[in-house]
Amino acid sequence: MSGDGSVYLDWAATAPLDAGVAAAMCACLADLAAQANPSSGHAPGRAAAALVARARAEVGALIGAPAEAIVFTSGATESINLAILGAVRAAPRDRRHVVSSRVEHRAVVGACRMLEREGSGVSWLAPRPDGGIEPEAVAAALRPDTALVTLMQVNNETGALTDIAAVARLCRERGVLLHVDAAQSAGKVPIDVGADDGIALLSFCAHKLGGPKGVGALYVRREPRPLLSPLMSGGGHEAGLRPGTLATHQLVGFGAACAIVRGSLATAPARIRALRERLWRALQPAAPLWRNGAAEPAAPGILNVGFAGVEGESLLLALDGAVAAASGAACHSAVAEPSYVLRALGRSDLAIQASLRLSLGEGTTEQDVERAAAHIVAAVRRLRSALPPGALERIA
Amino acid sequence: MSGEPVRYSPRVRELFAALPRAGSLAAGAGTAVHGESAALDRGAWVRFEARIEGGRIADCAFRAWGCPHTLAAAAWLAGRMQSAPVTATKAAEVRELAHEIDAPAGKLGKLLAVVDAQEALLAAARAVQ
Repeated sequence: MSGDGSVYLDWAATAPLDAGVAAAMCACLADLAAQANPSSGHAPGRAAAALVARARAEVGALIGAPAEAIVFTSGATESINLAILGAVRAAPRDRRHVVSSRVEHRAVVGACRMLEREGSGVSWLAPRPDGGIEPEAVAAALRPDTALVTLMQVNNETGALTDIAAVARLCRERGVLLHVDAAQSAGKVPIDVGADDGIALLSFCAHKLGGPKGVGALYVRREPRPLLSPLMSGGGHEAGLRPGTLATHQLVGFGAACAIVRGSLATAPARIRALRERLWRALQPAAPLWRNGAAEPAAPGILNVGFAGVEGESLLLALDGAVAAASGAACHSAVAEPSYVLRALGRSDLAIQASLRLSLGEGTTEQDVERAAAHIVAAVRRLRSALPPGALERIA
Repeated sequence: MSGEPVRYSPRVRELFAALPRAGSLAAGAGTAVHGESAALDRGAWVRFEARIEGGRIADCAFRAWGCPHTLAAAAWLAGRMQSAPVTATKAAEVRELAHEIDAPAGKLGKLLAVVDAQEALLAAARAVQ
């Protein structure tokens, strides 16, 4: 439940700050010894540096990486940009082809579009019907001049899981760098970059794990280490890849969140998956409805549902104060722009407008699921009761 | 699933929460007419229904698919047409409608569908005079 009493089902957008994380961050902010610049050589600086080192180790441990392979950033968007732009700009000019997909996050799409404007070719792979990417499609798109494959492990709208281990094997065999956008998968599904050494770069952030906003990480493989061109110039922090004084309390929060999530990784995904399926069953009285994506292979916490005859913006407002969720359309700037991800899955604009992303997390309970489903079913029925004749059949 | 969310005026919230006159006409005397505009490309589908009796709109209801602004505008217009004389009633201007519910400029296209449905209703009402 969220602070205003509504059921919070938007964990894929951001997870509530874990109480243990908040406590660790407050302790750090209250400790004068931790206020120094972690790059300073004096005693307070060394104290701050020790906190950063511990956080770096905890963040690395979540994905099976050594601390030295972690570059701290301001969030997943920056990590993604550093990985994609940095890797391709550092590649020889005659080897700058990129393989990505049509269902990536805007951060990836934007970086790839930037590279296209700089002269790189980008192959945009079509997804499976659930939103995942087939490794065979990646194999078919690789070219002698391919510098980078960049794919998300878990689709942020449907939860579809891509077999990153298979893609990593492929990239290792072909000598191509693989960047994984793990913003939705880190801490939700097992990741071990030590085992999947075909993963050269991996991006994730704190706030989807119960950590603070404004901090993220880029894993950079140690051996062989990919060449990266930094996006900014400055003081040479983070192995010269990301200059700027480190925000100790943010990193402490990130580290604490990773440690907490790692401790529950053996049990939480199965529990959340069961809750997701319970939610899907509890929504059936709102039929006709459909699922965007599939139950498997998928991350545990995302359920994307379309309700025939329903307009997503109205559904969200009807649920305001009762359920916090995300629409299938980006309802900003007064115009609902249908999701390009759901479009890539073949959904019509009307079906996309009728869709709702419900995402669950660590704090979601059975009561939350039942309450949310009851509110959603009631809201859908209310909106349908006002539909013009024939609209229910046409808007699906 | 990102960007600045749409802001709703208190008037839109109030009308959307209550949806007055949504659904079917109550049984009664007079001639039933309707007017409809299905602008799916603009994300709005509106239908007004009315009973015409003695040269007046004796009862008016609406049905709609669309965003909260669309539903709120249809609800407000249905209320305004209640008891109105058919011949003297003109369709609303889109900007007047937007002003009434404090809708942003980006919603004018959807509100046009509401006005089109009202015009169709009034034309049908005049035809049975």
